[in-house]
Amino acid sequence: MKRLLAPALLLAALLAAPLPAQQGGRLVIEAGRIVTQAGPDIENGRIVIDGGRITAVGKAEEVEKPWDATVIGGKAFVAFPGFVEAHTSQGMDRANENIDVAPFLDIRDSIDPVAYFFEDCLRQGITTINVQQGANCVVGGRGMVVRPIGMTVEEMAMRPLFGLKLSTRPKGGKSRATQMQALRFAFEDLRLYLEGLVEKERDDAGYAKREALFQGRDLEAEAAQGRAMGGTAWKVDGLELVPRGALDERYAPLLELLEGRYTAFVHCGDPLDVVHALEVVRAQGILARTVLVIEQDCWKAADRIAEAGVPVILEGALLDVQRDPITGEEVETFVPKVLQEKGIRFALSSEDPNTRAPAYQAALAIAHGMERTAALDAVTRVPAEILGLGDEVGSLERGKLGNVLLCSGDPLSVTTWVEHVVIEGRLVYERAKDVRNKHLLEGVQPLGTAPPTSAEAGEDPEHEHEKADEDAGAEKDAGDEQKGKDEDKEKEDGGR
Amino acid sequence: MLLLIAPLLAALPPGDDDWTIQAATVHTVSGAPIENGFVRVQGGKIAAVGKGGGGATLECAAVTPGLIDLALGIDTGPLSVEQSSETAARLSASDGLDLFSYRWERALRSGITTALAQPADYDVIGGLGLVLKTGGAPTLAARLVKPEACLRGAIGAQPSNGNAIPRFQEPQTFYFRRPTTRMGVEWVFRKAFHDTLQGQGEDDPATAADHAVLRRVLAGELPLVVQAKATQDVRTAIYLKEEFGIPRLVLDHAIEAWREPELLKRSGVAVILPPFTADGRHADGFVNDSYFLPLDAARKLHEWGVPFALSAHEGAGAGARLADQAAAAQRGGLPLAAALEAVTLTPARLLGVEARVGSLEAGKDADLVLWNGPPLQPTSRIIGVLLQGRLVLDPRSK
Repeated sequence: MKRLLAPALLLAALLAAPLPAQQGGRLVIEAGRIVTQAGPDIENGRIVIDGGRITAVGKAEEVEKPWDATVIGGKAFVAFPGFVEAHTSQGMDRANENIDVAPFLDIRDSIDPVAYFFEDCLRQGITTINVQQGANCVVGGRGMVVRPIGMTVEEMAMRPLFGLKLSTRPKGGKSRATQMQALRFAFEDLRLYLEGLVEKERDDAGYAKREALFQGRDLEAEAAQGRAMGGTAWKVDGLELVPRGALDERYAPLLELLEGRYTAFVHCGDPLDVVHALEVVRAQGILARTVLVIEQDCWKAADRIAEAGVPVILEGALLDVQRDPITGEEVETFVPKVLQEKGIRFALSSEDPNTRAPAYQAALAIAHGMERTAALDAVTRVPAEILGLGDEVGSLERGKLGNVLLCSGDPLSVTTWVEHVVIEGRLVYERAKDVRNKHLLEGVQPLGTAPPTSAEAGEDPEHEHEKADEDAGAEKDAGDEQKGKDEDKEKEDGGR
Repeated sequence: MLLLIAPLLAALPPGDDDWTIQAATVHTVSGAPIENGFVRVQGGKIAAVGKGGGGATLECAAVTPGLIDLALGIDTGPLSVEQSSETAARLSASDGLDLFSYRWERALRSGITTALAQPADYDVIGGLGLVLKTGGAPTLAARLVKPEACLRGAIGAQPSNGNAIPRFQEPQTFYFRRPTTRMGVEWVFRKAFHDTLQGQGEDDPATAADHAVLRRVLAGELPLVVQAKATQDVRTAIYLKEEFGIPRLVLDHAIEAWREPELLKRSGVAVILPPFTADGRHADGFVNDSYFLPLDAARKLHEWGVPFALSAHEGAGAGARLADQAAAAQRGGLPLAAALEAVTLTPARLLGVEARVGSLEAGKDADLVLWNGPPLQPTSRIIGVLLQGRLVLDPRSK
């Protein structure tokens, strides 16, 4: 009972609808059209999900319906793969750390499962989310790929300890020069530290081992992790002498980054940040595992990005509007188009709440002349591939996870709504039961705050009771509550 | 021989500003959309609109009238606020207008060809607004559509904001403005109309000039456009309308007008909606509160028969422009035809300029927007703009 806190309850009401198919159960989704993102659309199609994965996709008459499966959907719906959010710093309790170099952090500790953000992701049909630390850092913590369901971070986690955030955009209070110095020094500091460890081990052979035994560490398991340094750009000779467990955990993640364990998400605010970012990742030998997270202005460095062959995630606006400081002329550049023309692999993502919906971003790309498939790929397949989840999510294919949206029409139409969201075979969202969406759409006043209609007034004592409870708890509703009271008062006064 | 020459002649543009625009759909707004239609433009005016056509000099998927924004906000910096008096009905925004701002061109590029310029909202009665084109030669004469189109007022917290008397200072000096409360704002409004009806204080020429304007409002010659954001502001404005018999009242920035269906229907006011936000919230920097605008507010007004216009408040980025507001309103359930009307013909009617702009009809100004797909959808974009027959955004450039 202790866990039934107010926010949990709200989310529970939204998410924990009776699941027609528990994990491992079978679910059949039927739709008038299935947009698979892996070949032509299927008219009158059927998807079978078993054990969380898609076991069959095809025309209804060609796909057998298991006798014990729950069936959802119908001809009125369009089925679409769940959108993949390539990169975000939302859904956390504060996205930034004030320590410059903090690779030892794990955002597992700051993800808030009941954050409104995750709920909103479901509403927009985002079923896979790469959460990384904010960009206000030099070297940030390790991120995580999550699904927007669950009451605990463990339930949400798809890929824990995934990715490490770096930034070449100056952190608050830093100049570009100090930012770059700090970033280079982070790696230099690691090298000095590792050399120190090896030197100490050489001076006092067996010290690290004795220390490990004293600490009761499992040396065999540590040895299995490999001891020598796996980086490609530079190495510290003799690192194999030191057991892995002897590494200070403040340094270990950075070493693991060099060894290719994490994807580096490097944030670039300006074109010159791109140049700096590429220089650093090349110097550290991690170019192959680098993804640039760029803001809109960075299209000017598109040639450099293309030459390096790294994928990018466009986090800024899709449309870059620049005003010439001398001539006053404004020039608009549609950034995805530039990236596409240069042959850069890109995913769309947005921190702007007004344009965040992936369907909206894809629609915008189409408006600016991109092909429909390419535009949709940028919010499904490509981010999945960038996150190394190309075999798991991003399209509706046999063997992939059963992440399916049932939309009321073409997913790119402005009048279409995501009606049902299925994540790994579980129905986790139904718009009909989404009270907050109803509020956003129709302005329904929250329970207990609406002014009583003449029919209701004075006949519901329990209602009054609820009202008092909410007064104590929900601060943000206080304004509406007050308004309700004002209206009551005015009614008593007989208006004006 | 003749057969050969005819298409050649048709292909040649007859004059610089003469065009034949052919579109898969012509949205006239005043009538039903025309499939495979054309709009012929001559001498800055629409010469003909019809089905079929030929000899097109410009082609596109859809053509609509130029968009009209009644809350563009280009002109309304703090410097357009008169400090000497709260009632400045005699002043006109035309005298404070910066026609050289790059922001006009930005509006034009986003399809807005006609806009209302008004004084900012820190005065209770701020002055006269004017309707003008967003492009053309940077002179008032060249751009003016209607010089005295409305009287601007504001209700709520904004006119009293910052007027509080600092502590430990003498309150009765010239340097502190009134009113300092919301009640005071309402009082200034009521006093202005009361004094006008009584003819009080008209030996002062400024007051006499103010009253002359207010009389035109009371006679229904000028619409009164009042900023009224919250429910209580909407109520106050409507009560004022009913108390003084103001025939034409337009509630601007009316975030919460949707909460008052009966009042809106009873009083016959029109509404200008502010831009939609992702969470429906509109933070108000002046009081510690935020107001709520649901996505279906426009649909509600449409169903209640309340005339309404959508506005972008100078939103420039993708997703924030006037066309995007019309798309958001459709997401809230507003039909396309009504959404289009809310950014073209309705705003024109509210300010009495529908004889010149707002729809595609022969004889009206040739202000056209060309689209690369169905208009007012996120999958489409404005690719061309004509302003009085002059091509200001060329659809052939890309």
